[in-house]
Parts: sequence; C-alpha cells; structure tokens
Amino acid sequence: MIALLKKVLLVDLLRGLWVTFRNQHPKHLYTEQYPLERPKVAERFRGAPRLNTNPDNGETLCISCDLCAKACPENLIVVTSVRNEQTKRKDLTTFTYDTSRCMFCGLCEDACPVDALELTQDFELASYTREGLIWDRQMLEEGPKPTRYTR
Amino acid sequence: MSQTFLDSNELVLNMGPQHPSTHGVLRVILKLDGERVNGTECVIGYLHRGVEKIAENRTYQMFAPYVDRMDYVAAVSNGLGYVLAVERLISVEATPRAQAVRVILTELNRIASHLLWLGTHALDIGAITPLFYTLREREEVLKIFENYCGARLTTHAFRIGGLQYELYDGFEREVNAFCDWFIPKVDEYEELLTNNRIWRERLTGVGILNAADCKRYGVTGPVLRAAGVAWDLRKAQPYCGYQNYEFDIPTGSNADTFDRYVVRMEEMRQSVRIIRQAVGAIPAGPIMAKVSKVLKPPVGEAYVSIEAPKGELGYYIVSDGTLNPYRVRVRPPSLINLQALDQMVRGALVADVVAIIGTLDIVLGEIDR
Amino acid sequence: MAAEPWEDELTRALAQQFDNRIERFATYVGQNFLAADCAAVYDIVEALRDKWQFDYLVDLTAVDFPNRPKRFEVVYILYSYARNERIRLKCAVAEGERPRSVVALHATADWLEREVYDMFGIEFARHPDLRRLLLPEDWQGFPLRRDTNILAMDNQWVRENLGIESGQ
Ligand code: SF4
Ligand code: SF4
Repeated sequence: MIALLKKVLLVDLLRGLWVTFRNQHPKHLYTEQYPLERPKVAERFRGAPRLNTNPDNGETLCISCDLCAKACPENLIVVTSVRNEQTKRKDLTTFTYDTSRCMFCGLCEDACPVDALELTQDFELASYTREGLIWDRQMLEEGPKPTRYTR
Repeated sequence: MSQTFLDSNELVLNMGPQHPSTHGVLRVILKLDGERVNGTECVIGYLHRGVEKIAENRTYQMFAPYVDRMDYVAAVSNGLGYVLAVERLISVEATPRAQAVRVILTELNRIASHLLWLGTHALDIGAITPLFYTLREREEVLKIFENYCGARLTTHAFRIGGLQYELYDGFEREVNAFCDWFIPKVDEYEELLTNNRIWRERLTGVGILNAADCKRYGVTGPVLRAAGVAWDLRKAQPYCGYQNYEFDIPTGSNADTFDRYVVRMEEMRQSVRIIRQAVGAIPAGPIMAKVSKVLKPPVGEAYVSIEAPKGELGYYIVSDGTLNPYRVRVRPPSLINLQALDQMVRGALVADVVAIIGTLDIVLGEIDR
Repeated sequence: MAAEPWEDELTRALAQQFDNRIERFATYVGQNFLAADCAAVYDIVEALRDKWQFDYLVDLTAVDFPNRPKRFEVVYILYSYARNERIRLKCAVAEGERPRSVVALHATADWLEREVYDMFGIEFARHPDLRRLLLPEDWQGFPLRRDTNILAMDNQWVRENLGIESGQ
C-alpha cells in the first residue's frame, strides 16, 4: 500500500528534484568565469617553461650543461653553447624549446642542476602558427604574453 | 566480417567511432533483429599510439610520463603500476612515507575515476544532473593533484623509488576536508539515482555477466565484484602497504548493471576510508629510496599488477640489462573487459548497449594504447 | 641475481605429467615461471586450468629476441583465484611456427592472440578469427618486432606523403 502510494506520488522523483533544488542556491556556484576571471593555479603548476636569469644583472643562470635536453623523453630541447676562453666555461648561445611536443612532465626541470629551467604557472600557450610554438631563448626568458581580458 | 554474419532479416548498425556514449573512439558493429542485438563486433585501435614501442626507445625514467596517457582518467594508478614493476625488477622498495602518499593519491584517483564514470554513465542513461555534481567533486580531487604535483590529469606524480615532490603545506588538511565533504555527496548521488525508478528500470537485469563468465573472459574489477566474487588485488596480493589499511570489498549478487553501480558507489566510500587511515598516519622520513640515476635493472623480467579503478592493470617488463626496457607489456583492464561486451549485449535491446558500454567503464586510451 | 629453480607440489606433478616437454621451472624476483615446448603449451594450459584451478588467463603476450634460434617467446600469465597464485608460462616460437591457440580454453585469449599476431606476426593455429586488432588491416609489417625501426617508418611516411626527406 505504502509502496503504491509512493509510486503514485512520484516520491523517488521528487526526492531527486529536491537534491537539485538544494543545489540551486547561488552559494553553490562553481563555474569559473575564465577568461574574465583568471583562475589561480597551484604553486607547483607545470606550465610554460621559463629560463631564469639572474635578477641583478640579467645574465642567464643556465650553465649549458645539456642535462635537461638529455632528460627529456621527447628530445625537444636543443642547447648550444660556445666555450669562453677567459672563464673556461661554456656560454649559452641558443636554447630552443618546442612546446608543441612537450608533455609537461617536469623531467627537464628536475634535471637542471642550477634551477635555470623551470615550468611556471603560465598556462596560455596557444599560438596561431606551429612555428610560434617553438620557443627561443628570448621567449623563454621573457615568458609568454597572453592577452588579458577584463570585465 | 564473414559472409555468414547476416541473416536475411537482420540489420547492421554502426555505432561509433564518433558516438558520444562509446566514451571515446570505439566502433561497435551491431547485428540487429529489430531492436534485439544478435551480435556485436568491436573495432578498436583508433587511438593506438604504440606506447609499448615507445617504451623500447626510452629509459626507464623517461617512460614514466607516457603511462599516464593510457588510462588518462586514472593516471596515478597507471603510474603506480609502472613504478612498482620497475621497483620489483631492481629489488627496491619505496620508503614508508612514499608508500603512504602513494596510497592516498591512488585512492583519490580511484574516486576521481569512479566519479567520471558515474557522471557519464548517468548521462548515457538520460540523467543529466549527476554529471555536474560529479565533475564538481572530481574538480576538488584534481585540485589536490595540482597542488601536489603541478598537473591535474597526466600527473606523473611518482618516480621509480619513491616520489619526486614532498607534500605541500596543508596537504593533510585538504585531503581530510575533502573526505568530510565528499561522503555526504555520495549519499546525494544515491538519493538522485538509487531509488529513481527510471534508473532502476534501465539498469536492473541488464547486461548480466555471471562469475563463471567473468573468469572465462578474464574480466576483473568492479564488474567481477558485482558478480559476487570478492576479489580485489589490494587484498589478494597487497602491494604498496595496502595490507595495513582496513577496508571492505563491496560485492554484488545479481551481476547486472545496477549491482555494478552499487559496487562502485560503495568503493568510493571504501576509498575514503583508506584515505582517512593513511592520511592520519603518514610516516616521517625520506620520500625517495636509493636508486641510481643511471638505471640498469639486471637481466630478467617481472609482471606486477595493481587494482586500478577498472580492474587488474599489469605491467610485464623485460630487462636486458641496458638503460632502456627491452619490452614493456601493459595488460590494460579495459581491453579485456571490453571483450565480454559481446556476451553481455546478446539478446539485449539497442538502448541497453549504451548502458552496458557505460557500465564496463572503458577508456579507449588504455584499450588502444 | 639470476633465476633460481622453483620446486613444489605443482612443479613435481607437472614434471611428471609432461616430463621432458617442460624445459625448466624457475623463480625470479619472487615470481614463478616455467618454460615449455611450444607444442605442449596447449596441454599444459589445459592441465593447469582443469587440475590446478588456474582458471584466469591474465595476459598473453610475446617478446622478440631476433638473435635466438627461435626468435619469439610467447608468454602466458595465469592466475588461480582459488590458490591466489600467479605463474608465467613461456615458450619459444620460431618465425613461421604456429602455436596452438588457447581460445578454446580461455575466451580472453581471443583478442590477446590477435594482438600478438598484429604486433609480432605470430600466427596461432585454430584461432577462430585471426585478424589485426589494433592496426588497420592494410598495415605492412609487425611493429613490435625489434627490427622495426620507428624512425625509418616515420621517414618513409613523410617521403611518400609529404615529399620531403625527413620529418625530424
Ligand atoms: S616537460 Fe617533459 S616533455 Fe617537456 S621539455 Fe621537459 S622533459 Fe621534455
Ligand atoms: S639543465 Fe639547466 S643549466 Fe643545464 S642546459 Fe638545461 S637549463 Fe641549462
């Protein structure tokens, strides 16, 4: 009898509807209004690569050891350097990083002994061309410049 | 397809590869007699990337991020299986701290995987609302992953020998908060679905695969447990310290789609239970065991499997003593579970095919590799 | 660390039943395996299933060793729910040799054997429907053989389709 009453009165459906109704309140809003509001990504986020420079004199921190290129599973980092006769060290000449093939696994940044290469919190890497996805040293040092949208 | 495939009043229907309810690029050729399904044939391989071949050209460490891309909704489990297999080959065990963190993340990932399954499965059946809720809850799990390792989906969270990242401040608090917040949400899904008459009508008695057939087809995971076999690798052959945690294996009895739903719902609760125990007692200590950077496992082979959200996920790795694995074979649970589809849909209606594919919880990235 | 011999009730019984057709029983990193003659595999799998409750074929795969006289090694991973035990059965298969399919014993083997055929070109005798599983039907070659070079494949593709020398 009760079962029949429940069936006729659509109790099961109404209970479900009640759940939906409870979630209607504006405090349950969850959608992010990207790109008007930019989400805050985690500190450890593995996004756009950056080649760090010394903040005092703008020189690169990279010692051209090539470890990052060797660690990368996709072989997408190319580091070239010339030997500096005065300091007996290698000077970085070019550094290319092909973001189109990168899977942001973080192995290169783990491999870097001087924390020169770092994956940063920038996540907008889109480009209109394929070539635009291959970043050179300048791009890596300055970081991407995505369009900012505001309300 | 052979010539005898068709009877004169039968019709062939192509479902997929671009069908939303095949959960990826799966093509199912259905042989229909009216609304009844008389046979199926699955065409897979659209997502084949040659992961096993890639492994032969990478070092052991370099290959780790690739496994995340097989079952991309449970990347952490994939990573766990792989690192455990390599650790077995080099006879190294991760430190206790690393093991506890691994358990927490893997169980969180199980929840995330089941949530995505629930949302899409319900969507296939026609209940749209749960998807929004499950994705909202899953988002919280992904946030914990993002805070921990910097990626949400393809996490690459574990390394051979332990972990790369130390826990961040507030990890325990966040995980505990998630657990407290999540349990009422599971009840909420149940409120939406379990007693909903449409949900019950669509699922009860559909896609029955009994225990004997499960074993014959090698089906594992929630599908096997819904058939009443309380078999879970976490209990049967514990790995990564699962023997230290208390949890139950939920089982069903009718082996139908509804039971599989109940089993998975209960599994989420059990995962929370494991997480609560683990997060309360993360041992201090190093997170990385001593593993050489130049990793050359001795000649030999090992098969290690774990209980992934979808079933038994195994890695068979053959080493020839060099830097690169000689052969990496992945035993994906989805591929083997999908094989039972034919048996399950025979005699069912076309609309049930969608429900049955959903209940198998397949991920095509893992099937095709 | 080398593989150590493995001996227990099961191995003694199997050795007695199949005598010289099982080449060795061994255990490595705590995992037991046996190597057998390719022709005996079907019988061994059947005996294991019926007498020893190894009722779950976990995986079936192959490994290619081009330098061995019999270049392939087909690996069967079996599990027993009742005994909670997992073993591996390996057999060497020469190029062109056709091991007997175990689909009749374990339905799981259907796709797994197709995949092995797809990737290695090992044909299984009496398989109900041996076609490629993952790759397209008109695919040339068997990619998981060790002598398949993916770079060469890549270059051939760009040469034919894009008219340039190398894609790298
Ligand atoms: S993140 Fe991974 S794929 Fe990308 S450059 Fe670094 S190592 Fe290579
Ligand atoms: S590992 Fe670091 S220091 Fe070495 S080449 Fe790469 S970025 Fe430069």
